[in-house]
Amino acid sequence: MRSSITRTAALLCALCFAAGAQAADERLVLTGSSTVAPLALEIGKRFERENPGVRVDVQSGGSSRGVNDARSGLADIGMASRALEPAEADLNADAIAMDGIGLIVHADNPVHTLDADQVRAIYTGALTNWKAVGGPDRRITVVNKAEGRSTLALFLHHFGLTNRQIRAQVVIGDNEQGIKTVAGNPGAIGYVSIGTAEFDQAQGVPIRLLPMGGIAATVDNVASGRFPLARPLNLVTTGTPGPLVRRFIAFARSERVRDLVREQFFVPLAR
Amino acid sequence: MRSAATRPAERLFTVAVWAAAGAVAAVFAWMLADLVAAGAARLSWSFLVDAPASAGRAGGIGPILVSTLLILAVAIAAALPLGLGTAVWLAEFARRGSRAARRVRLALDVLAGVPSIVFGLFGNALFSVWLGLGFSILSGGLTLACMVLPILIRSTEMGLAAVPEDWRRGAAALGLSRAAALWHVILPAAAPALSAGLMLGIGRAMAETAALIFTSGYVDRLPGSLMDSGRALAVHIYELSMNVTGGDANAYASALVLIALLLVINGLAALLAERWLGRRIVTS
Repeated sequence: MRSSITRTAALLCALCFAAGAQAADERLVLTGSSTVAPLALEIGKRFERENPGVRVDVQSGGSSRGVNDARSGLADIGMASRALEPAEADLNADAIAMDGIGLIVHADNPVHTLDADQVRAIYTGALTNWKAVGGPDRRITVVNKAEGRSTLALFLHHFGLTNRQIRAQVVIGDNEQGIKTVAGNPGAIGYVSIGTAEFDQAQGVPIRLLPMGGIAATVDNVASGRFPLARPLNLVTTGTPGPLVRRFIAFARSERVRDLVREQFFVPLAR
Repeated sequence: MRSAATRPAERLFTVAVWAAAGAVAAVFAWMLADLVAAGAARLSWSFLVDAPASAGRAGGIGPILVSTLLILAVAIAAALPLGLGTAVWLAEFARRGSRAARRVRLALDVLAGVPSIVFGLFGNALFSVWLGLGFSILSGGLTLACMVLPILIRSTEMGLAAVPEDWRRGAAALGLSRAAALWHVILPAAAPALSAGLMLGIGRAMAETAALIFTSGYVDRLPGSLMDSGRALAVHIYELSMNVTGGDANAYASALVLIALLLVINGLAALLAERWLGRRIVTS
């Protein structure tokens, strides 16, 4: 009995020593947007394979965190799923992909288009029933993104709203959560990444993308730049980044990762 | 005269109690059936040992299982001695109703109710940034240890308090020192409560997402040491179902593995607590 405790302790000590001895030759730390994180993770893995001895550690936590960590030096590269704000002009942003944001409703909802005023009225609580926009007599469930999400900022900016004006019934985080919320509620309306929504729709998830400003919400329209509600997925750096960081950014923007961008349902940069 | 069982109120009560127990079992069965239906097809040996591919949509969960177990091991290694010590102090050393003991108990009860995201932010600030451990399995495990401590201490303390006073007097009468009485008589008698607390703690730790995403992190590579970042199974499931498009099938399969792992670890914890502590009461 006693020897087994001793052995466990010895094993733990050995692990701790191993922890101290271990050190990667070159390590890149990326933190930030949870939207960019899966893509960055895959790009990082491919970069590691092509550059032996380099380790790429990706941590999520949100765009604001990415910007802050890049600025404070906690991360070599920050990830932000939005364009930089004027107050962040001291940083460099390199886009690695685009992402369109589209409004989604439940597939059983007969409403096929909403103009900008109707969207505004719905999100500010002025319209609370689908009957008012030509739908059935059903309460509208407004699904909004959580404070701090880049999609929220983009959506608010596009429709000229502030978050305090919005009367939401559900507040969500990531894209898939938004899609699951709308798919489970015939009266819901929300906004999510178009690539994700297209994929889920093809998988039979009962949602439908609404066009915006008369332009269909498709990945192709985002790629061509015609769709009005789109955002860049950025890698954020500060000052003059080192050679490894520059190499990684060039790699992440290159043709060699286009398949990874598509695999994550984002839109590759136009060439 | 009618017998008690046939009185309407009595019968209603019986039905209500059975229904409540049945409903609880049904919820678990439904959940399990849902998981098995959606995830069992993906389960295979290679799913358990392979590295994830395509952000987790394809491939397996090998490195994530290793990280999860390492995080748990760190958490238990840190929480068990601390928890046991505090529980023993509360139950055996602190004077009954003393102010210090009351305050410690209050602190523990408050800690037990603190949302896990708060532990996550605290762990990130203390272990990752201030102590410089960064995103690492060590940070994650220590954060979980803080989370698990209240449950562990309170249930162990209850177990110790339930040991009859006669046993302590008996041990004293035989000339056993306080420490010896504790080690040979009282702790073994409280072993079932300790293992129950341990199981609750492990359950909470294994299911943890919010406390780990900012401490042990997101990296899904096989960890080379405790200083490496490693993704826990619960974080992986959350990521696959909420963030990664098309990750649902693997999320279900991973959830199934998590539940199986929980059952196995709980069984082991119960067995070990019985072996280490419970048996001594007979042999010595």
